[in-house]
Amino acid sequence: MLEISNLRLSYGKHMALDGVSLGVEQGQMVVILGTNGAGKSSLLNAVGGRVRPASGAIRYKGRSQTDLAPHQLVEEGIALVPEGRGIFPALSVEENLHLGSLPERAHTGRAARMAEVFDLFPKLAQRRGQLAGTMSGGEQQMVAIGRALMSNPELLLLDEPSLGLAPIVVKEVFAALARIRSSGLTILIVEQNARATLNLADYAYLMEVGRISGQGAATDIKSDPAIVRAFLGGALAETH
Amino acid sequence: MIVTTLILGLVLGGTYALLALGLTLQYGIARIMNLAYGELTLIAAFGLVALFQQAGISPLLSLLVLPVLGYGLGWILYQGMMRPLVARSDGTGRLEVDSILATFGLLFLIQGLLLLAFGANFTSISYLDRGVSILGVSVALNRLIAFGICVLSGGALVWALNRTTWGLRMRAVALTPGSAPLVGIDVNRIARQGFAIGTALACVAGASISMYQTFSATGGVIFTMKALVIVIMGGVGNVPGALIAGLALGLLETFVATAIDPGLTLAATFTIFLAVLLWRPQGLFGARS
Repeated sequence: MLEISNLRLSYGKHMALDGVSLGVEQGQMVVILGTNGAGKSSLLNAVGGRVRPASGAIRYKGRSQTDLAPHQLVEEGIALVPEGRGIFPALSVEENLHLGSLPERAHTGRAARMAEVFDLFPKLAQRRGQLAGTMSGGEQQMVAIGRALMSNPELLLLDEPSLGLAPIVVKEVFAALARIRSSGLTILIVEQNARATLNLADYAYLMEVGRISGQGAATDIKSDPAIVRAFLGGALAETH
Repeated sequence: MIVTTLILGLVLGGTYALLALGLTLQYGIARIMNLAYGELTLIAAFGLVALFQQAGISPLLSLLVLPVLGYGLGWILYQGMMRPLVARSDGTGRLEVDSILATFGLLFLIQGLLLLAFGANFTSISYLDRGVSILGVSVALNRLIAFGICVLSGGALVWALNRTTWGLRMRAVALTPGSAPLVGIDVNRIARQGFAIGTALACVAGASISMYQTFSATGGVIFTMKALVIVIMGGVGNVPGALIAGLALGLLETFVATAIDPGLTLAATFTIFLAVLLWRPQGLFGARS
């Protein structure tokens, strides 16, 4: 579904992506692991159209994605939940979700999708009139994920959905991710919480200073002691 | 006396509110601080008078047509003149400075064209200039019509912004432009619409004012300044704030003119403006941030 080949991207002199290639199959959940500054967010933002690569190709459903504007990608079925969430803090929860369903591809079945999102995150249903910016970090993340789902996506891009959240809220977010996952949606996720993510994912890529340094099935990555030591540090230690 | 001031003040304030609404839309949605705003108002004012005097076209018909033409003019201005500025701005304050300089130039360009076409004399028409009694106060019919138009178009806009998906898109871009592409909104398209609607509102206000006030080709800056005062009083980008501040300014000016001295209205306006800037820069209705 998604083919990235030899992607290069730099901010001034800093090379964020230095020839990255990876693929995501339809229905797969793929996780990108790596330390801070490895280029994970840059990669996700490039797929979501927020930054333009200097060279290389991003092919989505067989077509080149790089000549489309970010707002057109939503219409193609790519929904990005960026780091920092990108919600509308001064609008209500319901207005945020409604905005998610404005793309044409999301017009039919809007009410059913809204019900699904509320079923996934009951808190949003209780607080539909509240301004999104006045909610807790975890609730704002739910708004961001819910809004992405409202656009009827085929590929969901998640950038650190558990970043800065309390452990109990992280569990809640991962429970929701598991349900989204089981619905068959294709997901590309960047996440620090490696163990929980690897438990859900099919395939994992390891990133180091702008390059892919390793890859494999999630189950293999999880059980490879060298990878655990080199990339995941304490992150794979039992957390629950 | 008080009832007279109130009614005349509200009638004047209605036009001011609409005047400010267009400017606040252009700034809030398109992020263009348009110093040529008053000149756009004047184009409609001269347009209405010319159509009436030269072609005998009813001002009421012009009031319907001119805003549509204004929308087109705003669309062209944004696409041709503002879009390059937006394209090269990098999300910093550069667009603000560039747009102020560019529209300052546009101000003199339009003013020159108006002087060329209509001369420097004060212009006015006599249309529906008979008094109508409201609560014992005689108000000119043309002023009442202008007030009605302002209430209608301002009300319709506020309703659309708050109750339609079109309005939701507009508010999303005004409040958090960086997030808008994430939900498939083309920010450039919305900004262009915001600027064009702002220009259309300037035309509604200008055409309404021309039915009862004298004006000249060099007087546009007064409209810009008054609209700016109201926008800042109401809180930048705050639509209900602009409406209330507009009505308040109309009342204030009428009160000063009748109770103190007509020559002091502009001075009173700018005293309030300075006071708001000094003590409540977020506007009378804006939240402290």
